[in-house]
Amino acid sequence: MAKKNRVAIVGVGYSDVSRGTGYTLDKLTAQSSVAAMDDAGIKPTDIDGVVVHSFPHQFVSSTHTAAMLGIPDLAFYSGNVDGAAYSVAAMHAIAAIASGSAETVLTLRTVHKDGAAGGGRPSGNQGIPGNQQFSMPYGSFTGSHWAGLYMQRHMAMYGSTEEDFGAFAIAQRKFAVANPTESFFHEELTMDDYLNSRYIAKPLHLFDCDYPVDSSSALIFTTEERARDMKQKPVFFDSWANGTTKEADFSLVGDMTHSSPWMASKRMWSRTDLKPSDVDTAGLYDGFSFIAMQWLEALGFCGEGESGSFVRSGATSATGSLPTNTDGGACNVGRRHGANFFIEVTRQLRGTAGDRALPKKPEVGVVSNAVGGFAACALLTAE
Amino acid sequence: MTTEVSPPLPLPNELTAPFWEGASKGQLVIQHCNSCGHFQHAPEPICSACLSFDLGSAPVSGKGTVYTFCIPTQAFHPWFEDKLPFVLAVVELDDQPGLKMITNIVNVNPDDVKVGDRVEVTFQPLGEGFMLPVFHPAAQ
Repeated sequence: MAKKNRVAIVGVGYSDVSRGTGYTLDKLTAQSSVAAMDDAGIKPTDIDGVVVHSFPHQFVSSTHTAAMLGIPDLAFYSGNVDGAAYSVAAMHAIAAIASGSAETVLTLRTVHKDGAAGGGRPSGNQGIPGNQQFSMPYGSFTGSHWAGLYMQRHMAMYGSTEEDFGAFAIAQRKFAVANPTESFFHEELTMDDYLNSRYIAKPLHLFDCDYPVDSSSALIFTTEERARDMKQKPVFFDSWANGTTKEADFSLVGDMTHSSPWMASKRMWSRTDLKPSDVDTAGLYDGFSFIAMQWLEALGFCGEGESGSFVRSGATSATGSLPTNTDGGACNVGRRHGANFFIEVTRQLRGTAGDRALPKKPEVGVVSNAVGGFAACALLTAE
Repeated sequence: MTTEVSPPLPLPNELTAPFWEGASKGQLVIQHCNSCGHFQHAPEPICSACLSFDLGSAPVSGKGTVYTFCIPTQAFHPWFEDKLPFVLAVVELDDQPGLKMITNIVNVNPDDVKVGDRVEVTFQPLGEGFMLPVFHPAAQ
């Protein structure tokens, strides 16, 4: 179907990334922004929109970011702390460009290493306000806790096993080993390594978890017309969608094996002529490995409950039908909160993945972010 | 050397106080809509089923089913250091389809818990007079 008001990705960039950069959130944000502008071959004066997603307790302002970079005037800006991590910034920017609210938008996700868990823990006798008083007294504090709950439910419903989740961790580690400049892990993972890694919240193992780092990720989006004149071959958004569940609390969603990725996937497929069989590569959020596996099922790449056997078949490997998380995923390149998948699929589709270029050049890719209460996904095309 | 470790204690407010007051009397009390009879947990200022603001609370049966669980083996709060491993669970209460709460399953070997197990509420002291509603395997 001919698309009007197409939105293109024209620049991608990362900050320095490590377990402890010692850099402020603003400095990391500035680094990734400059890298993305260099990649796109544009200047701050070419940008008229900034959208940032950050944690409430690690807030990064869109207007301050613009000022820091010397962007003179913003037609559109938004600083978000709610929802599906980087994809929230992406969704706002796509909507802004498609609607004509802005032409060229810088999108950002910046996170310090302790971000995911550091915000809400009570100390001493202050008391727990709000609805966390119905989870923390029971020992539920972090994502690893709800992750264990989701995995156990899948195992009970479908007979999946720890080895199924392990197969995913092993498969994406192979990609990580081939990406030594970005990955923090350089050795292949065996099933014994996986099963012998400590539990965080059984059945969740250490190697199911993304790797906490300081990072900032930036992507620049613009109109098709402007994209045609830029340095990089543009990659286009074919379709995109958010999805949420009726229940906001991740531990209390109605159906843990059919959470928000299912809503987002259904909505995304309803907005395109493309089908799952048209997709050549995937970047599926792996804050925990089960999340990427729920996306494999939700997006229709395998049957309900069958993500384990799909991964074991080799389908997500470099030579499989759906090479998945070809940069190694956030479990290996570190926590970028979804942005790394938009960046890596872009690099594969436009042909700038270097040594890691897939054996069969992909034309269509899918990216996703988050799980549970909120999620988003998008289809990207090389033309 | 002894170190005083405090439990994570609730700070009850207008919406949450009935749950904690009920627990202190040995009752599992859940927010209940006076207009349509809908239970909701956690409590909110409005009934998500009928949009009524006329909300109260009511005791429930205290019987339910394990929807899912995990076994934390790392403490993210000092209170839990000497309680590992324990069973963190979501229990679906019998009183309304889909009515679920985060809780613990106690008086059981963690590795014996299964999704679908029938459980009943019981109460454990948390600290400073607070009682915590938790669940144990239902009597056969």
